[in-house]
Amino acid sequence: MLFVSSVIVLPVAALWALRWAVRHGEFKNLDKTALSIFDDEEPVGRMTDRFPDAPRNSKPSRS
Amino acid sequence: MNYGPIIFLGIFLTIASSWLGLVLAPQIQFGRQQEIKIEETGEVYPPVRPGLAQQGMEIYKANGCIYCHTQQVRTEGYGADIARNWGQRRTVTRDYLHDKPVMLGTMRTGPDLTNIGVRQTSVLWHLQHLYDPQITSKGSIMPPFRFLFEKRKAGDKPSPDALALPKEFAPEAGFEIVPKQEAKVLVQYLLSLKANAPLPEAK
Amino acid sequence: MSATSPSILRALSPADSGDEVQQRALLAEIDASCRGTLMLFFGASVVWLLIGTAFALITSWKMHSPNFLADISWLAFGRVRPAHLNAVVLGFASEAAIGVTLWLMCRLGRVPLMHAWMVNIAGVFWNVGLAIGIGGILAGDSTGIEWLEIPGYASPLLFVTYALIAIWGIIAFRFRREKHLYVSQWYLLGALFWFPWLYSAAQILLIMEPVRGVVQAAVNWWFGHNVLGLWFTPIGIAAIYYFIPKVLGVPVYKYSLSVIGFWSLALFYNWNGMHHLVGGPLPAWLITVSIVASVMMTIPVITVGLNHHFTMWGHFHKLKDSPVLRFMVFGGMSYTVTSLHGILLALRSVSEVTHFTHSTIAHAHQGLYAFFVMVMFGAIYYIVPRIVQVEWPSARLIRIHFWATAIGIMLYIVPLTIGGTLQGFAMINPDVPFLDLNKYSVVTMTVPYLKMRSFSGFVILVGHLAFATSFVWIVARWIKAARRPQPAQIASHA
Repeated sequence: MLFVSSVIVLPVAALWALRWAVRHGEFKNLDKTALSIFDDEEPVGRMTDRFPDAPRNSKPSRS
Repeated sequence: MNYGPIIFLGIFLTIASSWLGLVLAPQIQFGRQQEIKIEETGEVYPPVRPGLAQQGMEIYKANGCIYCHTQQVRTEGYGADIARNWGQRRTVTRDYLHDKPVMLGTMRTGPDLTNIGVRQTSVLWHLQHLYDPQITSKGSIMPPFRFLFEKRKAGDKPSPDALALPKEFAPEAGFEIVPKQEAKVLVQYLLSLKANAPLPEAK
Repeated sequence: MSATSPSILRALSPADSGDEVQQRALLAEIDASCRGTLMLFFGASVVWLLIGTAFALITSWKMHSPNFLADISWLAFGRVRPAHLNAVVLGFASEAAIGVTLWLMCRLGRVPLMHAWMVNIAGVFWNVGLAIGIGGILAGDSTGIEWLEIPGYASPLLFVTYALIAIWGIIAFRFRREKHLYVSQWYLLGALFWFPWLYSAAQILLIMEPVRGVVQAAVNWWFGHNVLGLWFTPIGIAAIYYFIPKVLGVPVYKYSLSVIGFWSLALFYNWNGMHHLVGGPLPAWLITVSIVASVMMTIPVITVGLNHHFTMWGHFHKLKDSPVLRFMVFGGMSYTVTSLHGILLALRSVSEVTHFTHSTIAHAHQGLYAFFVMVMFGAIYYIVPRIVQVEWPSARLIRIHFWATAIGIMLYIVPLTIGGTLQGFAMINPDVPFLDLNKYSVVTMTVPYLKMRSFSGFVILVGHLAFATSFVWIVARWIKAARRPQPAQIASHA
């Protein structure tokens, strides 16, 4: 009984939560969140890894 | 908007769901299964393993036999378990009632052992096979378990326990190989592996 | 390891600050705060990597040459194989995972590592517990339960450490400063919460108060699969979601996809466990539920795969400039391939052939090594120079590491998958003898593939030795630099 009710209740709860989130515009600011890992020190457009023998300040291959 | 509590709730509910479905539900369904009396023989099944066999189970467990051997027979027509004579019927939940731990295994580097106690009843075969699988099963990749045996100086007559070995595996003259207690109980465990009692649910 | 400097932090509001100097100070402070703890975890993980690799080679060799070291009881195949598993899973993979998780939580929350003493104690307990546990397995005290072999006298130590780390994770999350929750944080929080639940439930229901009969098998594989699905996979995906965009300087392709990816993974993955028991002595409904859940995994796997792939789109040429990117992309692609393969393996018709064969082992290594371990290598290459403020000493060693492990794991997986599948076809054909030295038999046909696997192990070993050498070398440089009196440096890593 508990099992059956949880199999029904949980997905319903999940879908309801999804509907609530969409209604409240939780998904509108997503691109801002995608950018949150960047900042002025490590901005968008700059690679942050290189081989230790790459000359410093060399431009990595252009996109 | 503080997402934290919502994410936490979601994380909690998702694992709760599978815990309910895959752990609690089976426990409710057959966690209290009992032994059954077999009509044909009047015996209770599954039987409690005798003491020596139970000790042998510990040796099986300690040496990781499960990593090469399974103890589950799949249903006829699904795989070739029954065609290979690994069992007369598939194994069902009741077969494992007394096992702690249940050692179904996941690899068949070697054959399934559910019914090895039906298939191979010779103590000598088992002792020789454990001492060096090449004796009974040439080409086998099972390792030899010589450390379950002791090599000692032979007296005027061989000990009653001394293992009969073909010449190329026998120790040098004046020595004999004697199974340690671990080898003996392990063989008792293997001989106790039988799941051929006719069960109504396995028909 | 001193606590953070509260006055500097309170003066900053990193989420709003546009001041580059302040931000650089904060990032450097975060990295510095992680240093001791992370080097403890990463250092230990490297040691376990070497130990685990040694056990791996011994195990693999014994499979085709059973007389190898056969008279040493504590190196018996059935003991050294679980010793290998626990050393690489709990030793290398989990400790690297914890190090990476701690750093990501700090960086993403933009808050330095607080209460380091908690995780440092956890780290010590973990290594002590694991060493005792693995010693116990070799001595013959294994519990006999796959993925839970660590004997009962060592496992409480491990449980305490997991719990401490999970508690730390919750505290770090609560006191974060960055108000945005990046996708990696959801995965990491999930992993931190799920793992102690899994571990404690399994310990209680299998070892302390074992449930009756084959319910044990259900619990066993609910646990075993979820170590991969709810511990390693989330951490691996979290790492890829952070490091690929970070290395490239490009945001994730479609962030909304990551929401779908996370929740579908959380919902479906943990129901997969019974696919390890297809054909086994359990009710059909239980197995079917897991097969269905396995097929549903196509949703998160394809979602995540698309997201990672399109983030990389147009930037693949940058692989030659970045070691971290190489490991991350290799890992990400392996995740997609192994997951899709795994979904196939769950189907009853496929499982009939492949179950109980070496192809299962190849699949496990593709998930754990080709995906997770490679991602961890990449993460360590990114993190360590930032926390110790010293460059990796040798580009050549890094290249050797990457190529040896990438080629090595492919040499492992591809032949063994083929060989294992052929083994399966042989096994379900009752006309093929199980063992016959003079004919095509199930056992004898696997031997060439097993030998190939051993060969691949040596190739992988070369990579691990290169990695360990780099690690020891950078530690030596770090110690040397720390001894030299220096003006306070806040070097940004260009």
